[in-house]
Amino acid sequence: MSADAKSHYDAIVIGGGHNGLVTAAYLARAGKSVLVLERRHVLGGAAVTEEVFPGFKFSVCSYVVSLLRPEIIRELDLPRHGLEILPLDGTFTPMSNGDYLWRVNDHFKTRREIARHSKLDAEAYDEYGKAMVDMGRFVKPILSMTPVDPTSRDWKGFVDLLRLGRRFQALSPGDQYNQVQLMSMSAIDFLDQWFETDVLKATMSASGIIGTFLGVRSPGTAYVLLHHYMGEIDGAFRSWGFARGGTGAISNAIADAAREAGAEIRTNAAIARIATRNGKATGVVLENGQEISAQVVCSSVDPRLTFLKMMESKLLPSDFVEDIERYKFRGSSGKVNLALDGLPDFRCLPGKGAHLRGAISISPSVDYMERAYDEAKYGHFSRRPYVDIVIPSLTDPSVAPPGKHVMSCFVQYAPYNLKGNWDTEREAFGDTVVDTIAEHAPNLKSLIRHRQVLTPLDLEREFGLSEGNIFQGELTLEQLFFLRPAPGWAQYRTPVRNLYLCGSATHPGGGIMGAPGRNAAMKLLSDWRRGRVRA
Amino acid sequence: MPETRDVVIIGGGHNGLVAAAYLAKAGFSPLVLERRETVGGAAVTEEIHPGFRCPTLAHSAGPLLPHIARELDLERHGARWLRPQVRVLALSPVGKHLPLYDDPARTATALARHSEKDAQRYGEFHESLGRIGRLARPLLSLTPPSVDAPEAGDVWKLLKLGKDFRRLPRKDAYRLLRWGPMAVADLVSEWFQTELLRAAIAARGIYGMFGGPWSAGTGANLLVQAAIEPHSAGPADFIQGGMGALTAALAAAARGLGAEIRCGSHVARVDVRDGQARGVVLSTGEQIPARAVVSNADPKRTFLSLIDPTDLDPDFLNRIRNFRSSGAVGKVNLALAQPPRFQGLDGDGALLSGRIHIGPEIDYLERAFDAAKYGAFSPHPYCDVTIPTVLDPSLAPAGAHVMSVTVQYAPERLREGDWASRREAFGDAVVQTLEEYAPGLSSAILARQVITPRELEDVYGLTGGHIFHGEQALDQIFTMRPLLGWARYRTPIPGLYLCGAGTHPGGRVTGAPGSNAAREIAADLKRAR
Repeated sequence: MSADAKSHYDAIVIGGGHNGLVTAAYLARAGKSVLVLERRHVLGGAAVTEEVFPGFKFSVCSYVVSLLRPEIIRELDLPRHGLEILPLDGTFTPMSNGDYLWRVNDHFKTRREIARHSKLDAEAYDEYGKAMVDMGRFVKPILSMTPVDPTSRDWKGFVDLLRLGRRFQALSPGDQYNQVQLMSMSAIDFLDQWFETDVLKATMSASGIIGTFLGVRSPGTAYVLLHHYMGEIDGAFRSWGFARGGTGAISNAIADAAREAGAEIRTNAAIARIATRNGKATGVVLENGQEISAQVVCSSVDPRLTFLKMMESKLLPSDFVEDIERYKFRGSSGKVNLALDGLPDFRCLPGKGAHLRGAISISPSVDYMERAYDEAKYGHFSRRPYVDIVIPSLTDPSVAPPGKHVMSCFVQYAPYNLKGNWDTEREAFGDTVVDTIAEHAPNLKSLIRHRQVLTPLDLEREFGLSEGNIFQGELTLEQLFFLRPAPGWAQYRTPVRNLYLCGSATHPGGGIMGAPGRNAAMKLLSDWRRGRVRA
Repeated sequence: MPETRDVVIIGGGHNGLVAAAYLAKAGFSPLVLERRETVGGAAVTEEIHPGFRCPTLAHSAGPLLPHIARELDLERHGARWLRPQVRVLALSPVGKHLPLYDDPARTATALARHSEKDAQRYGEFHESLGRIGRLARPLLSLTPPSVDAPEAGDVWKLLKLGKDFRRLPRKDAYRLLRWGPMAVADLVSEWFQTELLRAAIAARGIYGMFGGPWSAGTGANLLVQAAIEPHSAGPADFIQGGMGALTAALAAAARGLGAEIRCGSHVARVDVRDGQARGVVLSTGEQIPARAVVSNADPKRTFLSLIDPTDLDPDFLNRIRNFRSSGAVGKVNLALAQPPRFQGLDGDGALLSGRIHIGPEIDYLERAFDAAKYGAFSPHPYCDVTIPTVLDPSLAPAGAHVMSVTVQYAPERLREGDWASRREAFGDAVVQTLEEYAPGLSSAILARQVITPRELEDVYGLTGGHIFHGEQALDQIFTMRPLLGWARYRTPIPGLYLCGAGTHPGGRVTGAPGSNAAREIAADLKRAR
């Protein structure tokens, strides 16, 4: 990027993660001059591919894609910009008794597999799938919605609320019932109503705890079960998958679309602070001292960084500062990336079969999952953690040298607030993860050529995720919808005029959805049209 | 054929009695059928040792809604409330106890010994919770609106409530919305730093629940409790003569208004013909025809054991089976030869006059719950203790005391052994826990009654041993209690109603479910006339 670039823009986007890039792309397409500033040397934020060890390319943080909004793929024409999603078929769950559960996208195959464990559950699985698809239809439009504020005194808020109520009313009684349960129950309580097979419930419930400091028995974890059925509505294409070239390829495709629309993107551009005048954002000051002015600043980094680090809190209302201070991050997950000389051989299903091409989930029983959580509650990493493993090099050989593999292990729980020090416990944590997997695939240890261990502390330092929370703040009910990130400030605006939020800390939250980025851009553009954006 | 009654009420618990009294007041002549030899259900006073009378299950009389006490003139019928100045004494293992007084200013002064900051914040918390509680209070006496076809009256009441909600200071409004889904542990740590205070307040969110302070949604339970008793420290009132005196007064009021109450009458089933409830059949075979049958029993007992399953839609039955009613509470009642001596208290009896909280830290409470998750009772349980004889010496011989201990957690099903074989071990764990705070207590024990979930179900008829008839989680309250679509005290069987804690607004001795149900039943019966 040329150093003599402009010094004034319509909009500056802080952070070149996928949401920041989505916002930039939409603003640029609307004719605004946009500058994206990324602190690191690569784009993508947590959706990034890096060659950590020579020849081995890792999706360092986020590793699968499921919910990238179809309208974004369409509107930004991402396939033309190089996005290719490869299927990730199924979830393989080794059990401790030598058996396994292997669910695949093919409904009938999965049904037969479940029947091996329980005939009743196989039948319930059909009904469950149908119910979930219905629920997904109800929830999906909410993702693209600017949250209503039930305390707002204006009639529009009231009408929005009423409209939401009417949509709920229009559901069948059975669906209403499921919906309420999904929003409030624990994943296990919810699944208990449908299934009896312990391992099935354990492995399904895992999706409910990812990125949260909750256990599978904690109320509020059922909701995420739904996400697995929202991709499927649009057909198999957008269910779970990998991006060819790793997760960073998604960010690169979005960046490409943004650039094509005229956005400027700079890396190695760390921001020291957001410049304000008379309570309005006027631009940013880089760490190298350079000042860049803009009509609007959109921050895709989390609210703690935005408001407590990049601004002086005295510029903000004290209530708001209090809300941001108590916004909960408390990261609970870590990541172990392994460069392998070969493929792991699972004791319960030996060989290099298709089960290695999907997700491999170390979630053998409900108690196992819950005990992993119990340890984290009291400040320890799980001695036997939940691990979600993928081996993308099987599907996309470009990410590893010939015959070699990359294995990505998402680990929970690794509490940010450890009793002890992550810098000294990092390798012990890595060993625990490897030992855990090796209990099911004993040859693993001899295959490991390199190992990268990322603790929540590393996620914070390296990727700017406060307390290592992968979703920029917990996805719990009291931090969702009109409460995300703070009550009264869930509509992408902030108490500082011309400063907007567009990251995962806004509705509808984290994961590679792009929805916060798009929603924020839409809100901002509408404010712009109505003359709310004024210097 | 015996004469047809207006209304038959199955179960003479406090809600059944309240319903009977209100229905009698409305001009009907209800008949209450109680299986046991005494009315009261979970609100009873029983002799646990010769000369020692104890509120065997519920021990806090504070929650009874004041307007019910007034409208039924309970004082005239013998109820005498006793209010301690210390609502809660939170015990510290190192003798640094924390009293929560009726007067929040005194509490703040006591708190200053622990934390200056908390002492300052307590007042605001007390006020805020009070405002929210008082706002939500009218909800307790409201029939939850129908979600599908709200009636004009419901809509009006809700709009009024919405108006009140908007009139709340915005800060409180957001608190109300945020607190509901939260874990009560998070809620209290947003306010306070003193662990003992955190734990004592958080306990209100987990009382009676199969959840620990880290369980999301326990905030909602705290809000329900705040509506029942807006005071930040929770209920503390006692009744002279124990809880049984309260239900005796309710029974006297109901009788005075024209209700009939029969004890020792075990209802075997509800008589359903042509899809309509026609009366009940007793275990003796006696048939009692009635225009309306009202069940004070919990939803599971009502639909799964009093009704022939073929009279219900399988989908409905399935949902009732999934109604979560697995309890977490046990009870230990002690007859004591002399007053217990707690470490660090120099004989200040007034401090022991309210509830005594054992559970010094959030983590302590959570660990107690952890055990229950894996099917074991807590080795170090959370205990809500009262010594009713401090304010009401009539319950025991002179100088002697009774101690009533509500214990969490005691899961419905044990993984190792069963309750019959583990009952005494459970009692021992409780006494040992008490002994840590009151050394020498064991040697003062003359008799011990241990009530496990097994007895709660077998003796008191609480399915799953759940003292609230079912979890008060976000998906089982208000319009969803017991089930979405059936929260208006009516059931899929015309003529059959629910009036117990399994309906809105849930458990505790408020009388609200009974009085709400009576209002709906009276309206239906009048319409049918």
